[in-house]
Order: sequence, then structure tokens, then C-alpha cells
Amino acid sequence: MEYAYVNARIRAMKSRLLGRPFLEQLINKPDVDSIIADLERTTYREELERAGVQFSGINRIEVAIRNDLVRAFRAILGFIKGGEEENLLTLILQRWDVQNIKTILRGKKIHAPASEILDCLIPAGELGEAALTELVKQPDVKAIIDLLATWGVPYARPLTRNFKEYSETRDMLVLEYAIDTFYFEHALSILKSRDTEDNRIIREMLVTEIDINNLRTVFRVIRDRMDREEAKKFFMKGSSELDTETLYSMVKTGTLEGALKLLEPTSYRFLSAIPQEYVTAEKISAFEKELDRHLVRKGISQFLGDPLSIAIPIGYIWAKYAEVTNIRIIARCKQSGVPDKELREALINV
Amino acid sequence: MVDFGIPIGAGIAFGLGALGTGIAQSKIGAAGAGTIAEKPETFGLMIILVAIPETLVILGFVVASMIMIMLV
Repeated sequence: MEYAYVNARIRAMKSRLLGRPFLEQLINKPDVDSIIADLERTTYREELERAGVQFSGINRIEVAIRNDLVRAFRAILGFIKGGEEENLLTLILQRWDVQNIKTILRGKKIHAPASEILDCLIPAGELGEAALTELVKQPDVKAIIDLLATWGVPYARPLTRNFKEYSETRDMLVLEYAIDTFYFEHALSILKSRDTEDNRIIREMLVTEIDINNLRTVFRVIRDRMDREEAKKFFMKGSSELDTETLYSMVKTGTLEGALKLLEPTSYRFLSAIPQEYVTAEKISAFEKELDRHLVRKGISQFLGDPLSIAIPIGYIWAKYAEVTNIRIIARCKQSGVPDKELREALINV
Repeated sequence: MVDFGIPIGAGIAFGLGALGTGIAQSKIGAAGAGTIAEKPETFGLMIILVAIPETLVILGFVVASMIMIMLV
């Protein structure tokens, strides 16, 4: 595969992404309809027109931006079709499969309406919109796992293995941990086979995700005063910076302040900048949001990497994801009348 | 006796320049094709960018000519 060709196309696609001034323009709009009018003057026009046949208002934006994101990801996969690079990029896109399956399982557990679950999905991985819709139609968690197994989706294996424990404890963390571990172990084992620059870039992104998942677990364990020994089994392996011992030491401190102190020598020291009131009140949503932003920023920073490597497609995937997330946040906040100041704080600044 | 060193030197000056131009143009051409596929309006700029490495082979040709004219 010729990276010069593919990456030039992707850089051209990146130049069409909406910049901060355009997002500011959207923030200043009074309602959802005027946001749609502005978006119709951008690359989202085609998808907005298609979505306009069936949907209106906020749903039209949601469907259009989701389809545009999927179309962009599919286009990139099309550029690199057939090469080793396609397998590497698929590894990254599979994270959305894992995320979607987890969202559906969580939704089914709390008996959320199918339409609400579908709104939260991003069919950017190998499970397309039709497959996800079919999964959402299933009556319960067991039926979802069975359907995945019938389709031969590999994620059915860890879910089936851990379903007994889930049905005894009704703790969704069991299934979430199982599917996450399966995904990361599988991906890292593939990357281990060859030591190339591309593999290194993908490994770095995956390890960052592992760290973020582990930090989320640490924060939740501290907040919910969970059994420390019990928590240990939910830490995923694969990171050398935040290994199981470090994570366990964080949990042992028993407070968020203590855990943050242990993060000082690591690349996650930026979490210390979170206002003290959130730390005292143990509002871990602020930490989770900051970690999500870190992942997106790290993904987008790949644009500064080797211009003739997989870094450019990875950078684009995260830049596009950030754009779609920001448009979604703006539209939702306008819909529910959230003040502009709070809206700006909710955006992913990159 | 014929001195083969001079024409061989001229050949190397010209040949390596042409090789360098080929390598550079292959990369720029591929990137240019990718850019034009997404932004057709950049066609003119891409033609100029693809042509820039030609200077290498022209310089090689000039050096080779000077070697042949001045030393033979």
C-alpha cells in the first residue's frame, strides 16, 4: 500500500473538518433548526438531507452525523483495503464494536427503550447498523450473547464464559471486564507478532485505552468503597506505566487525593488539575471526562507523527470522532437549554 | 589511451540525479494523486510540485555536460 497516496487523501479530508470558529458559530445559534441550517452548508449536507426524510430536529442531526462518521471511517478502510494496514486499523475500529456491545448490554440491563439505546451507538466497527439494531431488539442480556454466538462474533466467547457469574451477581462490570480484556489481549497479541512503526503506534493507543479503563476502575472502587482485593481482578494487563501493582497501591490509599498523588510521576498527572471540590465530593465523572479527552487528544496528536505511517489515519479517526462528539454536545445542549458557558466546558477541546 | 573515468563520472552525475528525481516524483506523484482525488482544485499546484524534483536531473545533466565539454 502507498502511504503517500492514502495519507494525502486523509489530510485533504482533515482539511474539511470543522474548526473551532465554526463550532463557536454553532454555539451562538439560538436553536437546533438554525444549527441544521449551518451544518447544511458543510460536508454534512448530504447526510442531513438523507436523514431529513425520516427524522427532524435533534434526531436528524444525530442520525446524520453518525452516518457521516461511519462513512468517513469506511472510506479510510477502503483506501487501505487488502494490506496489513487494514488489519491494524480494524483493530482500532473494533473498539467501537466493544463499546456498542457494552452499551446494548447496559441498556438491556436497565430496560432502556430500544430507541434510546440505538441513539447511543456508533456503528463504526465491524458490527453495522443492521446488526446492532437486531441486537437491540433482543429481550435480555442472555439473548444478546446468544445472538452474538450464533453470528460467530468472537466477543460472544468471553461473554458466554462469564455469563454464569453475571447472572449470580447481576454486576455488569463482570461482563464489561470480560469483553474489554478479550479485546485488548487479542489486539496486543496480534501486534506482538511484528515490531514495526505502525504496530508501535497502534500499541501505544491501545495501552493508553487500557490505562484509562484501569484508572476508571480505580476511581470507581475508591468512590464505592469496594473490596480492594476484589477490585484487583478487574485491572487489565498490558501497560508498563500503570501496572497492576501501581493501580493496587492507588486503591489502597482509599482516597482520590491519595490516588492522584501516586499519578504525579506518570503521564496522567494532568488529573491533578481537576478542581478540589470535585475531588472532595468524589465526583468521578469529572475524572472520566478528562480521561476521555486525554484519549482523544492523544489520538489527534498522531497527526504530528510519521507522515508516511498509520499515524495519519489514526489521527483522522480521532479528529473526526471529536468533531462529531462536539456537534452532538452542542445540539443536545441547545435542545435542553444548557447555558453556553457549561456547553463550552463540555466540549472536547483539541 | 582513452580515459574512461571522465565519461563514467559524467554518467554517474546524470544517472544518480535521474534516480533521485524518480524516487522523489514517485512519492510526490502518489501524494498528489491522493490530494487531487479529494480536492480537484489543487491540480495545477500538484503539477508544479511533481515537476520540482526535475531540477535534480537537470542539474545532473548540466554537471555531466560540463565534465564532458571541459575535461574531454
